[in-house]
Amino acid sequence: MKRTFLNLKTFAAIIFTAGLMTACSNEDDTVVTPEPDTEEPETEEPVEPRWITVAAAKMGEDPGDGNGGTLIYSVTSEDAKNPTVSIEPFENGFIAPSNRTARLQSSEDGKTIFNISYAGDTGGNYTKYTVEGGQTFTPSGSEVSIAPYVGTAPRWIKLFDGDQTGAAVYVNNENEFDENDAYTRTEATIGVVTLDLVNSSIKEFQEHSVPLSAEEEAAGYYISRIDMPTLNAAGDKLYIGARLNKVDPATAESDSDFEILGSKTIILDYPSLLNPSVITSTVGHGNTNGYRSINSFEYNGSVYQANQSDPEGSYILKIDSDNEYDDTYDFNLDDALGVEGAYILAWRPAANGKAVLAYRHDGSAEGVAGPQGFFALVDLNAKTAVKIEDIPYDPDFYLFQYQGFVVEGTEIYLTQGAVGQNGNIYVVETETGAVTKGAELVNVAGSHFIGVF
Amino acid sequence: MKKFFTAVLFFMYIFVQGQQILGTVSGTVQDTSGDPLPFASVLVERSKLGVLTDENGFYSINKVPKGKYNLVVSFVGYGTRSVPFEISDRNSRVSLNFTLQESTENLDEVTINGKSKETKLETKGFAVSAIKTEEASLRNIQTNELLNTTVGVKIRQNGGLGSDVTYSLNGLSGNSVRIFIDGIPISTYGNSFNLNSIPPSMIKNIEVYKGVVPGYLADDALGGAINIVLHNDAKTNFNASVSYGSFNTVQASVNGLYRFDKSGLTVKASLFHNYSDNDYKVSGRSVVVTGLGGVQTPITARRFNDAYRSTGGKAEIGYTDVKWADQFFVGITGSDDYKEVQHGAFMTITPYKDRFLESDALLGSLTYQKKDLFTKGLDVNVNGLYGKRNRVVNDTVSWAYSWTGERAIDFRGDEYQYTWRSQQEGGPTLAKIKRNVASIRTGVSYAINNHHKISANHVYSGIDREDSDPLQSVLENTFLGTRDLKKNIYSLTYELTAFDEKLKTSLFGKHYQQKTTSVDPAIETDENGNDVIVDEIVSSNKNYDGYGFAASYEIVPNITLLASAEKAIRLPDETEIFGNDGDNVVANSSIDPESSENFNLGFRFGNFNIKKHDFTISTNVFTRNIKDRIGLPIETSLNVDDELIVYVNQGSGTSKGFDAQLNYSYDNNFGLNFNISRYDLKIENQGIEIDVPNTPFFTMNGGLRYSFKDLIQKKSRLNAFYNLYFTDEFSFLTAQGSNTVGNEFFSVPQQISQDFGLSYAFPNNRFIVSFDIKNIFDEPVYDNLSVQKPGRAFYLKLNYAINKF
Repeated sequence: MKRTFLNLKTFAAIIFTAGLMTACSNEDDTVVTPEPDTEEPETEEPVEPRWITVAAAKMGEDPGDGNGGTLIYSVTSEDAKNPTVSIEPFENGFIAPSNRTARLQSSEDGKTIFNISYAGDTGGNYTKYTVEGGQTFTPSGSEVSIAPYVGTAPRWIKLFDGDQTGAAVYVNNENEFDENDAYTRTEATIGVVTLDLVNSSIKEFQEHSVPLSAEEEAAGYYISRIDMPTLNAAGDKLYIGARLNKVDPATAESDSDFEILGSKTIILDYPSLLNPSVITSTVGHGNTNGYRSINSFEYNGSVYQANQSDPEGSYILKIDSDNEYDDTYDFNLDDALGVEGAYILAWRPAANGKAVLAYRHDGSAEGVAGPQGFFALVDLNAKTAVKIEDIPYDPDFYLFQYQGFVVEGTEIYLTQGAVGQNGNIYVVETETGAVTKGAELVNVAGSHFIGVF
Repeated sequence: MKKFFTAVLFFMYIFVQGQQILGTVSGTVQDTSGDPLPFASVLVERSKLGVLTDENGFYSINKVPKGKYNLVVSFVGYGTRSVPFEISDRNSRVSLNFTLQESTENLDEVTINGKSKETKLETKGFAVSAIKTEEASLRNIQTNELLNTTVGVKIRQNGGLGSDVTYSLNGLSGNSVRIFIDGIPISTYGNSFNLNSIPPSMIKNIEVYKGVVPGYLADDALGGAINIVLHNDAKTNFNASVSYGSFNTVQASVNGLYRFDKSGLTVKASLFHNYSDNDYKVSGRSVVVTGLGGVQTPITARRFNDAYRSTGGKAEIGYTDVKWADQFFVGITGSDDYKEVQHGAFMTITPYKDRFLESDALLGSLTYQKKDLFTKGLDVNVNGLYGKRNRVVNDTVSWAYSWTGERAIDFRGDEYQYTWRSQQEGGPTLAKIKRNVASIRTGVSYAINNHHKISANHVYSGIDREDSDPLQSVLENTFLGTRDLKKNIYSLTYELTAFDEKLKTSLFGKHYQQKTTSVDPAIETDENGNDVIVDEIVSSNKNYDGYGFAASYEIVPNITLLASAEKAIRLPDETEIFGNDGDNVVANSSIDPESSENFNLGFRFGNFNIKKHDFTISTNVFTRNIKDRIGLPIETSLNVDDELIVYVNQGSGTSKGFDAQLNYSYDNNFGLNFNISRYDLKIENQGIEIDVPNTPFFTMNGGLRYSFKDLIQKKSRLNAFYNLYFTDEFSFLTAQGSNTVGNEFFSVPQQISQDFGLSYAFPNNRFIVSFDIKNIFDEPVYDNLSVQKPGRAFYLKLNYAINKF
């Protein structure tokens, strides 16, 4: 037995040696020594400036895919406007817990960040953080998940009701057939859940069948994706954007190159989430479900909604307080910008009816992660749109994944920066169109910035 | 089928008339106290025939031609004995038992002549690990666990027995690793006959080729190949085992072979049965119960929808060691399995209930092996399989369940159904995939003399796939496409042995041909204006070439330099070429295969025998340079609504690292093995290189064995085992900045798991009882982010074996 013991010691020695090897190589990996927080959030001034939280999406496997983590970092609005300040979210940020790009929202005062994790084991988990500057985001509230209602990859948005409520949606499709096995229609069952952002609890959930007209259904049209719930001015209706797809009734296989119908919106009673109906625009044709940033906003009693994939180029559509499309409101971005194939990627109006809008068009350069993006200054009343020339553009600057603008009075904050290149925060004064170059955003290879909150 | 077998039996009868029988010599080797001497060398002098004795001191040498010989038996620390024997027409089965005396002379002078089969394999130049299953088959060890402890191999399993497994060889995984059973792609056998279900007792050994794959296993194996070699001896034997343990796990196996010595007629059969509830305890951030308002309470839950059952077997009839064949068998392989699915790729707060997968397969097989056919040095090897396999996904429960195993409640306190009306998002399904599968591998080799050998190898594998779903309408099922894939892979190898067998080289070329066909029914209008259903057929036929070499040089006795390289490719699979019907991925018939230049350079030190110490050290450094990686492009505003996403070749990748292994034994009683494996896996896309996340890049395994003789009963043997498995922490997410916070959310923590086992062989060696404790300290272990694997578990196994009737 003595011998065995000796050999055990040998074994231990080997493992120990191997351990040392690991330790050594770990040291090799850590080339950069961690530096202490450079930003001291506390300022001496009596008026608390708003926090501006920069969101950055790290490259996963492909440049610009944003799947390598969503990092956030907060600075004061003063620092955000200061071009000598440099922000490095990829080096010093807080990684929002989400397997794929986190879907972020912030409170209107910027003091709270709301996150719903997208995909993975915690997909659908709601977390909120108190913004304390720099990389410090302190979790508050209890854990709650909307996954049981809308799945682990939920489409959600914050409603404009004083940061009280978030809403998320889901749609399930099933083809239906008659007794002769002929295709009749495609059922679209929507699920809508509202989340109490303050108390971290589920408020309401309802499920509905949302049919289209008999004629549309016979042709094979159905609502295939929904997103971007928005409250009307009265706060008694919830509008949900929709994308339509089509099957070939002869084969029940999905169709492509079909005629695009008038843009549609699903309307529900709020807060009960009952009585679904569908309204259709005669002005715009295309989807109203947006992508990752809020697609419709209440302004001056009406809801203004962007559409995408419109054959005539994107429109901003108007839904009036009677909860019907105002088809006299015709605001086409191709016409307003003088381009072909304008596609609204993200936008945000200030209270004065003037908005900053991110778009691409048919003439956009093909960058590393898709078509080049631009910003425009939009006037909802005058129905004008002007490309903002004071922001530098690069072919690799793309805005498809863009999520957030901050509105402070008539000013709108945004992030600029091509994939893999440094950028800046820019502040647009919507009244005058004046553009202020703000803090520098330090990038890393293949990554990009997805907005401010 | 019945007629087929009648015909086969008839032909066998004809063949057997007037066969010249090759002889067999067998027996046992023991020491003076009557204990068996395992791994003693037994050689037929002046021939190349020789073996090592097994655990029970038993040996058997087949195919000894007629004549007079000396049988030489030796063992380190013991003397050498030589006994004459004769193989004649009347006496083709010779039994010789040896008792060796402990040697008093200088032990350094005792050397073993000849190498074990494993050593031979490992000194040919390839980066290969040969895994013996003898010991594991007597213990409560599954085939996958055995592989996972092999240097350079990493297994990642999404749960307990029967759950999904991915295999990685030196960092390359998934489609890059090809797995074979006797050279036949394991996909031919289907899900019910795989490394989760086949017991180690059916397996003779496992060969793991890393990066460079020899011609006789040619396939589009970009990162390497694992070949499971089933038992192929021609000796009457029978063994049976049953194991029971934690999580209501039962594993049973029976293997038997009977050979009629006069005619050579041989029947053999293997059966296995596995069952486990897999109801092990889990906890963590997603194991919660939700109450009113969605309030979450963390719990420790037992998995409740994770049971696994697999049953299967193989029966063969044929001839062994007859003049016209060393092995000739026709057989049938049948298997059937059932696996409940507790969750998707991740453990979420919405566990699945009553989602399960079923698969079955019924395959006919043909095996033919003959050395020195027609002329000395001409060896022929044929292995074929044909049959059907089916797989069904069943997910029809719409009610939500919680981690307690009970119906979940919603925020109002009511039981509820998911909007998607199934457990996994995507809707109810009874999707069935029927496949007709065929694969045949043929190898011919000719040894011109002791120095030159050429061989040719061909493998064909074909899969015809047909999908259907009873939950879908007749119309939808009518317009579902079918996908056929047929691969032919040819290889030509030249082997040179020179300088007194110090130099061994192998040079090979491979030719890959793949034909894929997709048939999609569509509606067209004929000349009379009527709508007719026509099949839209798209096919692609691709040809590619690859080549490589392996060389070993014994610099000084027992120190061997090993080098190998290959330009390997992986052909695009049916989804990558055609997309998935119903998915918005469409055909890209111009897609290129992934290719990789693989290099290995290694040393092998050993086997050194110093006094009673015996050790071997082997190391390998490797690089893999991958090009044209296949993947999906990123979503942009241009394709977000499209039906037009295609798989594309994008970017390159590299894996660089090293493996090392140490085996040590003392006095045949004490054994130690240790291995370490580390690599860096990077991919490059549009000029930007990243470390591939979610990669367990550093692993170590260690094992100790001690053998007690005559501890309880005389002539009995008690073996004690201890194993340690280590996998370093890795992140699900790409490497982040040095000062970021929140990284721990994505971390797959370091794993250290320890097993302990005892096995007791009763004096007659027929009964062996094994007891194993796995994960002794009940550590939470994870192969994948947040998917917890089983905790501490106990297993007891009874083995019964007879080698002589």
